[in-house]
Amino acid sequence: MSALGVAESAGSAAEPAAVVDARAAKRRRQRRQLLGNAAWYAVLTLLALITVFPFLWMLLTSLKGPLDPIASVPPQLIPAHPTLANYEKVLASLPILKFFFNSITVAVVVCVLNVLVSAMAAYPLAKMRFFGRDAIFYLLLATLIVPAQLTYIPSFVLAVNTFHYYDTLPAVILPSLASAFNIFLMRQAFRGVPNDLIDAARVDGAGEWRVWWQILLPIVRPSMAAVAIFTFVTSWNDFLWPSLMLHTREGMTLPVGLAALQGFFSSDFRSIAAGVTMTVIPILLFFIVVQRHFVRGLAGAVKG
Amino acid sequence: MTNKLRAAPYIFLLPAVALIAVFVVYPILAVVYYSFTDYDIITPPVWVGFANFVHVFQDETFWLALTHSVIYLVATPILIGLSMTLAIVVNRKLRGIHLYRALYFVPAVSGSIAIGLSWRWLFDRNGIINSILQTVGLIHEPIQWLATPSLILPIAIMLTIWAGVGYYSVIFLAGLQNIPEELYDAARIDGCNDVQKHWYISIPGLRPQIVFVFVISSLAALKVFDEIYVLTQRTGGILDSGVTMVFYLWRQAFQLHHAGYASAIAIVLLAITLVFSIVNVRILERQDAEA
Repeated sequence: MSALGVAESAGSAAEPAAVVDARAAKRRRQRRQLLGNAAWYAVLTLLALITVFPFLWMLLTSLKGPLDPIASVPPQLIPAHPTLANYEKVLASLPILKFFFNSITVAVVVCVLNVLVSAMAAYPLAKMRFFGRDAIFYLLLATLIVPAQLTYIPSFVLAVNTFHYYDTLPAVILPSLASAFNIFLMRQAFRGVPNDLIDAARVDGAGEWRVWWQILLPIVRPSMAAVAIFTFVTSWNDFLWPSLMLHTREGMTLPVGLAALQGFFSSDFRSIAAGVTMTVIPILLFFIVVQRHFVRGLAGAVKG
Repeated sequence: MTNKLRAAPYIFLLPAVALIAVFVVYPILAVVYYSFTDYDIITPPVWVGFANFVHVFQDETFWLALTHSVIYLVATPILIGLSMTLAIVVNRKLRGIHLYRALYFVPAVSGSIAIGLSWRWLFDRNGIINSILQTVGLIHEPIQWLATPSLILPIAIMLTIWAGVGYYSVIFLAGLQNIPEELYDAARIDGCNDVQKHWYISIPGLRPQIVFVFVISSLAALKVFDEIYVLTQRTGGILDSGVTMVFYLWRQAFQLHHAGYASAIAIVLLAITLVFSIVNVRILERQDAEA
């Protein structure tokens, strides 16, 4: 910053006075605006602190050594004896990496297949006329009202007696492969595609599959990306149903494993903080990468 | 497009419809059946007629859970107010504003269990909330926040609000950016100050988003489970002070193996959700009529 300022003032010596005046005025204006903005930055930073504080505290606590107090008056925030021992302890006692692998498997499979299945179902609902279309559409919409938790008792019985996949990952994956909400969102996206485009492709001899795969899907890619990210994050964080299905420690997803961690370390807060930090950081990194698509997806969902 | 009965639309619909039939429609029908039976998931269900429903309405814990779930709805208006305010605050062109917006979204992607665990320790007897309050001299002895029956529900509601504000504000932000700039210019010329500007233009302009967030967040409030599960460490809190409807359903079905009784609770939950949704649809229709 300062190096830049020096270079600028050195250059201005050789320039006409009018240019220098204009520059000074511009700088004054910017400074005034900056002061006005400072108040907003203060508000924004305070809000950000409130939002991030619990995670920050977890991170700092996870780095505390045995000599750093958890509770003290005044509170000690920054560890005086920072250590990674808590992370080693958690990794040694619980298969956190396995939890990760399971969560990624579930979230990726659910995300890819759910988006494909939903996009397939959305095509005829948006762009074809056929017997029973409205009935099927409204039936799908009606299932949106039903709380998912209501279906867990029969789904549990199905998992144990019919599908025999209790305590395996398919038990978590299969029930999440179709979502009426995603079908609804994809249908909205397809409806925005002009019919002429589809008719032209059909005249050229394209079958329905090619129309869907080569024309419609590429056009609605932004909506599809948003739906995919939304599905990924929801699946990644899903807890209640996976906690009913997954009991063998090696087979748990992250949220289920985290809940187990709480039971395992009970009052060893440093280790619990390490576990929480390890699970939060990857999804945060993922979110930072895909942020823009996610925000657009959320926004698009409400326009309807 | 033709009206002929063709196979294509049905083939496209088949995977989704089959999955939803097996994992949503069948379970709804099954849960209706189970609600009229005595069922422990292991031995076959035995028909008991309306006994479960009679039991539900005489069950004090159920009424307590229902009351807690209704109290939880308090989160909805607070969430709407705060997230709309946050959206107005972040809806300005400042350097680095995207970073702030991303930060506010952090709780929405972190997962309820990670969030719940961090809050469970914030409010622990040895947590930092006590440390801070003792440091500034507001309290002298650490408070047992989560072991105080009257505090569990408020803490859970605060958690829900804290975690939801960033998420819902994104929806409001998108709505704000659809409001034409000219409306604000006109208001400024007419002598509106900043607060009046938002009261007369932003809030009416955000009506579709307000309705959407109202529907989504109130349905979510009726279904709260994860927060209670973590904050009370699966117990539901002392004297069931944190038990919500879904938590009670979970306990009856999967802790106590009263699947028949839990199904009856599920049916009551469905009925309440249906009534709620019908009210919501009415509001939406009225809004369409006015638009």
